[in-house]
Amino acid sequence: MPNAILDPTGRADFAPAARPRGLVLAPRPPGLAGLRVGLMNNTKHNAALLLAEIGKLLAAEHAEASVTVAETKPNFAAPAPADLIERYRRECDVVITGVGDCGSCSASAVADGILFEQAGLPAAVICSDAFAVTATAMAELRGAPDYRYIVTEHPVAVLDAEQVRERAKRLAPEVVALLTARAGQ
Amino acid sequence: MTTAARSAPAGPPAGLDPDAAQAAIEHCYEQGWSDGLPLVPATQPLVDKFLAAAGRSPDEVIGRLPQLDRVVTVRLAAINAALAGCRPEYFPVVLAAWEALMRERATGGGGWQSTSGPAPLIVVNGPVRAELGFNAAGGAFGPGFRPNATVPRAIGLIVRNVYGIHPHELEQATQGLPGRWSICLAENEEESPWPPLASEAGLPDGTSAVSATLLRTCEFVDNRHTSSAEQLLRDFADTIGRSGSWIFQYAAAGVVFCPEHAQLLAGAGFDRTQVRAWLAERCGRSTAELARAGKDGLDGRVRLPGDGEPAAHFQRMLSSDDRENLLIAVAGARNAGISMVVRLFADWSGAAVPVARPDAASRTTDKHEES
Repeated sequence: MPNAILDPTGRADFAPAARPRGLVLAPRPPGLAGLRVGLMNNTKHNAALLLAEIGKLLAAEHAEASVTVAETKPNFAAPAPADLIERYRRECDVVITGVGDCGSCSASAVADGILFEQAGLPAAVICSDAFAVTATAMAELRGAPDYRYIVTEHPVAVLDAEQVRERAKRLAPEVVALLTARAGQ
Repeated sequence: MTTAARSAPAGPPAGLDPDAAQAAIEHCYEQGWSDGLPLVPATQPLVDKFLAAAGRSPDEVIGRLPQLDRVVTVRLAAINAALAGCRPEYFPVVLAAWEALMRERATGGGGWQSTSGPAPLIVVNGPVRAELGFNAAGGAFGPGFRPNATVPRAIGLIVRNVYGIHPHELEQATQGLPGRWSICLAENEEESPWPPLASEAGLPDGTSAVSATLLRTCEFVDNRHTSSAEQLLRDFADTIGRSGSWIFQYAAAGVVFCPEHAQLLAGAGFDRTQVRAWLAERCGRSTAELARAGKDGLDGRVRLPGDGEPAAHFQRMLSSDDRENLLIAVAGARNAGISMVVRLFADWSGAAVPVARPDAASRTTDKHEES
């Protein structure tokens, strides 16, 4: 009887317990009127401006909606720490975050989106289309292979301020759809 | 069974079954475990030898990536070292290299997933080099030597298999770089005019130890015709200071000097610290030169187009002359003035990790036996 070939991944030892399958999204509001919007930028170039512009558009288009928290993640490569998620949970009704624009930050942006949903906050994650594969890989890792996030054309980092505002205008309706009952799931 | 009806060579040595070996190798490919090259299928008896060589608890956790919910244990590292083609006695070096890499900030964050696709640079010091057959001389960057080739490959397989960071998925290297998972130098202490790298990091002379960082590429400096230390250093300063690799306010680099260059510098009175101080002052570009590449300005830490002023202002690439910003090692043959500039992914931890071998004395006489 030959010896067995050993598995170098260790998946059998660690994975099942750590990975609950299936994500229940936070309940969606019917619209954004009167809601508190949180922005969490991940430090990637143009992320803060893009989120701020989207925040402005939402505030302008939805009565009494306002941006209440606009913070920067301490580490773009890692999911947001629990105390930061908690702050958004206390002070916001919905969150927009991004921009997934690199190998690790795209994956961690999706991880953040899932953390916000688990905290009861509808979240819209914005990710560059060049990193959709890695963003989806993270969603699978977190047991939510169908997790929906917003994909925007790569690159974002080289856009000038006017182009960022233009991009924000195009993305705003998608953000609203994903954060409200129009998300359809 | 197939039969090899060739005239020579004759069949395999008694007891070896190449067809079974090929099938086992294919099995490893099919599981997605391979970095592209054949793996040595790991079995319990083989892995037990690795674990015995390290003398550490197989369940000891030696790395974790919380964002991926992945944990590296000594046992999993041993399996991957076996797959990589290491001999069991290399395993303590793999563990020291892994630990040295864990001290780099990026390896606990997004470094392995990065678009830059950084490669470990592993430097081995001390008696373990000769005892295990590490190459410190000609062709120091490889290939050709089993320990030098398989130790860094083991690191790559741990990242791939245990962290689950696969190319095109969680690994997003835009181009990667030549030498990823294959750069492990032994320092040429015998022909270096300076104390070993591990001594600079504070370990006693004669300690077997590993230093490691992440690098983004290597670039040679070929200068065999000057006897002037300053001319030679100027060549390094020019090469190190290029704008292409310079993306934040400062950048970190390293030089793997060939013995000839190191000896020339030492002969002119330069020790490592003085080489670093000289280069820290002179590696860089003027604001006008950086402006031509759109890198003269700063937004936070990131370089981007600025106003190009003051044009003549010299911007230093290294933030200081600390060793974390400029790793200096000596390796290669004493046959030409060819050294390598290496570009670091971030600053280096500056640490050296001792190679822990519980029974090194008895094992050095161990003959190659496979179960």
